[in-house]
Amino acid sequence: MELGLAWLAAGIGVGISVLGAGTGIGRLGAAALEAASRQPETAAETRTLMLIAAALIEGIALIACIVCILLAVKTA
Amino acid sequence: MSAQPHQTPAESNVFTQLLEELGDHHGFYVGPYKLLDLPIILWDNGRLHLYPSPTAMEQAGLYRMVEGHPVRVADGKPPALDLSITNLVVYQWLGMLLVGIALWRAVRRYRAHPLRPPRGLQNAIEALVVFIRDEVVFANVGHQRLGVRLLPYFLTLFFFILVLNLLGLVPGGHTATGSLAVTGALATIAFFVINGGAIATIGLKNWLRHLLGGGPLWLSPILVPIEIIGMFAKAFALCVRLFANMTAGHIALLSLVGLIFFFGTVLIAPVSVAFSVFVYLLETLVAFLQAYIFTILTAVFLGLASEETH
Repeated sequence: MELGLAWLAAGIGVGISVLGAGTGIGRLGAAALEAASRQPETAAETRTLMLIAAALIEGIALIACIVCILLAVKTA
Repeated sequence: MSAQPHQTPAESNVFTQLLEELGDHHGFYVGPYKLLDLPIILWDNGRLHLYPSPTAMEQAGLYRMVEGHPVRVADGKPPALDLSITNLVVYQWLGMLLVGIALWRAVRRYRAHPLRPPRGLQNAIEALVVFIRDEVVFANVGHQRLGVRLLPYFLTLFFFILVLNLLGLVPGGHTATGSLAVTGALATIAFFVINGGAIATIGLKNWLRHLLGGGPLWLSPILVPIEIIGMFAKAFALCVRLFANMTAGHIALLSLVGLIFFFGTVLIAPVSVAFSVFVYLLETLVAFLQAYIFTILTAVFLGLASEETH
């Protein structure tokens, strides 16, 4: 019963964190694309900034996933 | 990505088994094949225990292997410190050797013919070195002299992580960067480089002033703890990001191949193989991307920490 709840929590948790990260990276990508098409001459700089911000968002999501993994590998 | 047989406890599920396979082993494996027994070095009860292989350790009678890790025979607890040469250590040595040979060859050609255009592998290395120097280090570390002095560190970091990531994608290879111990060590070095570089550039007083976060003095009870946590969180995030990215791809690959055994039919194989090839190619991209991200984030954090004014 408790193990089942831990797996349920892991599943729900990973879903929510992926939802947040997906929204964040999606908005980031849209904004970066818009900036790059408005000012193509700064596209390289925009890409670097986008990658850094994406990595930071991803870092948060991955830490959330690690928490979920800890729940999923819970034994007894 | 290996699949050597392992004695796993009955209560562990498939997922923990996968993580166990991707982790460290006391033998040098290529795929499921064990090529070498690796020496075991333990620090326990105030003295050093050296054994040439796990079998020799079990014959000596003080320790035995349980689930792939040495434990005391007397009370079944792990030793105080396990400093063994493990699978991933050997893969790191292999990575160092490859980076060393590749860069040494390029440098030797530059020395021999300084005026001839680069060719072959030298060309690829030059492109990467120039990219890291101009786009990653000099663009983000604001202080010019600090950037020049730390350029060797950033180049080593990039090539080391890149080669370890790619070694893990060679069929049968293990990903040393897919282990928290390895990425933790890299992040610890990055932590000291970021803060040491900042203190060396702007002085201890200005570095301490950064802890205020640019706010007024009366906000310091809130801001100082946040800034201190932020200092460690940056290094922690670097560590977890690299580890999770390298591990996630491998788990996805193993799960896709596992679908064939899960359904117990050959018909699912084409789907599994197609998706596996896609994930494998994605992992190749991620191998380059994560080496780049780790390097550029270290450079960005160093640049932020060594700013004169906030």
